Amino acid sequence: MFDKILIANRGEIAVRIIRACRELGVATVAVFSDVDRQALHVRYADEAYYLGPAPSRQSYLRGDAIIEIALRSGAKAIHPGYGFLAERDDFARAVEEAGLSYIGPRPSAIAAMGDKAIARATVAAAGVPVVPGTEGEGDLRDHELLKLAPDIGFPLLIKATAGGGGKGMREVRSLDEMPGLLESARREAESAFGDGNVYLEKVIEKARHIEFQILADDHGTVIHLGERECSLQRRHQKLLEEAPSPFLDEKLRAEMGEVACKTARAVDYRNAGTIEFLVDQDHNYYFLEMNTRLQVEHPITEMVTGVDIVKEQIRIARGRKLRYAQEDIRINGWAIECRINAEDPYNNFLPSTGRISLSIVPTGPGVRVDTGIFPGCEISPYYDSLLSKLICWGETRGEAILRMRRALEEYRILGVTTNTAFHQNIMGSHRYIAGVFDTRFVEERFSMDEMEEEKEDLPDIAAVLATLFAHRQTQEAANIVQRGARDTSNWKWVGRYERIHR
Amino acid sequence: MKYIATIDEQTYEIEINEAGEILLNGERLSADFMAVAEHSVYSLLLDDDSFEAHIAPHDLGLEVLLRGRRYMVTVEDERARILRKAGGAGVTPTGEYQLKAPMPGLIVAVPVEEGQSVSRGSDLIILESMKMQNELKAPRDGVVSRVRVQVGDSVQQNAVLVVIS
Repeated sequence: MFDKILIANRGEIAVRIIRACRELGVATVAVFSDVDRQALHVRYADEAYYLGPAPSRQSYLRGDAIIEIALRSGAKAIHPGYGFLAERDDFARAVEEAGLSYIGPRPSAIAAMGDKAIARATVAAAGVPVVPGTEGEGDLRDHELLKLAPDIGFPLLIKATAGGGGKGMREVRSLDEMPGLLESARREAESAFGDGNVYLEKVIEKARHIEFQILADDHGTVIHLGERECSLQRRHQKLLEEAPSPFLDEKLRAEMGEVACKTARAVDYRNAGTIEFLVDQDHNYYFLEMNTRLQVEHPITEMVTGVDIVKEQIRIARGRKLRYAQEDIRINGWAIECRINAEDPYNNFLPSTGRISLSIVPTGPGVRVDTGIFPGCEISPYYDSLLSKLICWGETRGEAILRMRRALEEYRILGVTTNTAFHQNIMGSHRYIAGVFDTRFVEERFSMDEMEEEKEDLPDIAAVLATLFAHRQTQEAANIVQRGARDTSNWKWVGRYERIHR
Repeated sequence: MKYIATIDEQTYEIEINEAGEILLNGERLSADFMAVAEHSVYSLLLDDDSFEAHIAPHDLGLEVLLRGRRYMVTVEDERARILRKAGGAGVTPTGEYQLKAPMPGLIVAVPVEEGQSVSRGSDLIILESMKMQNELKAPRDGVVSRVRVQVGDSVQQNAVLVVIS
């Protein structure tokens, strides 16, 4: 029974895992790169070890260095978090070969679900419905794919077998555009995953992305913790998630939940995992893929079920039997999560970097914030742009939405541009409130400008504010006005002001 | 001191006198304006109505984020505006625009060339950073006068990439 865990990650998820360890009385070991020396996870952990320079390939992706640090620190287990090495079966295997526990599934399950084409074939054989597409395993060549395409039907998707996140994905509307798209998809997949193999899938029109959280112990018990609705995406990156889904009823939930558990059993799964489905307008569901790790959006499941998923992960890895049976899991209320990213929603979601100068975190009833940022921390270009996860719970979906609106208004982050305004607009969107949306909603039927029309318009106040601001600036630069009770010279103030806004 | 503020072609005449009062298009209002704790968040009490906004300089003016809505405002004092109009410079923004890299990254595409006419919103550079491909767009119509990078270049933050005249 291990009593020290190394967290092979950074940012908000590393903080999340450390919190679970603290509550279980387990000692924690953090690893950090050059730019993360002051990070929250380093300061919260019991021990911290330097990994390497900022780029992931030289730090958080160095499995060998991480294992070596674990052995040196006396940690007996490694939690991979999400991203980085979390779905690398070679890393999981190396961890076990080093005599350490891997807090996650067996390497064989990671491998089985890691190759998307193999995953489809495996679950199809177990009787789970899959998105219509290429059958069987094996690397298909272009001419074979071109022959299979008309049977699958257009429009279809070319997808990478080695990974997801939209990389190596191309939509094909007709056979003649396919050869060119195959070539560019393969090239992108090769560059992102080191593997240019692709498979084909029919496009499910107006589909919703609904996923099920499962937990499995070493003693044969597999349960599900309900679903998460993740249809609000942009470029295949999730922006907003909610649990439960407004699209499922009790019967469908129970049925899909059982199919999710069946899928997990088909690969002898252990620990936490998520089965992703596409659900069409007629409520037909199809297996999309399985994520063999903890997910970013796990907090919404925790809020509606009361289960601490990370603590359960650690307990399962320690060999404990699951404390819950399926009938113990009840969905209570509604939870929504908004991913606050360092992106400008008014400018094509351009990412931004900078130093956080202010961070006022919302709180009050039903509000949870999972974050790794703090005033003074640098948002660098080396890692993704997720700053914080804002999660709100309500007794009903309506209350959760109103609470999220209130929390978004309270949340102040200065120093980088954030996509808070985007989330505010979604919370005010009639279609979102009605629960009517699918995976194309954000990209095709939502615009920031349209939403602005419906908001309170106060251009005269904005004009007054801007004018007072400009007036104040010129006055201070000319040393006419003393600003507040400061005793520093006004030139210094203007200089400092300019530095903050660079 | 008299100013003209412009938002989306609509102008507002604002006169500021030191008695904590302003005239907005002729209407007299009391105004108490201050920064909140030295950050770019400002609180305004206009005749007892309370407004809080984020104000920051932007490429094309001042950006005001007020009650979840974004306004781009240009503010000129009265004399400067009269001079500008007398010079016959016209209403469209003059002066060249320099597209700078918002953060370090890799140039993956340059869909424009020198001499090409571009319209507002068209892609000038595709920059890869933070694991995503980002399209940097033209903020206004113009002609590309300089392209200073090529595909494959690594750029620093604030490096000038494209100049539009």
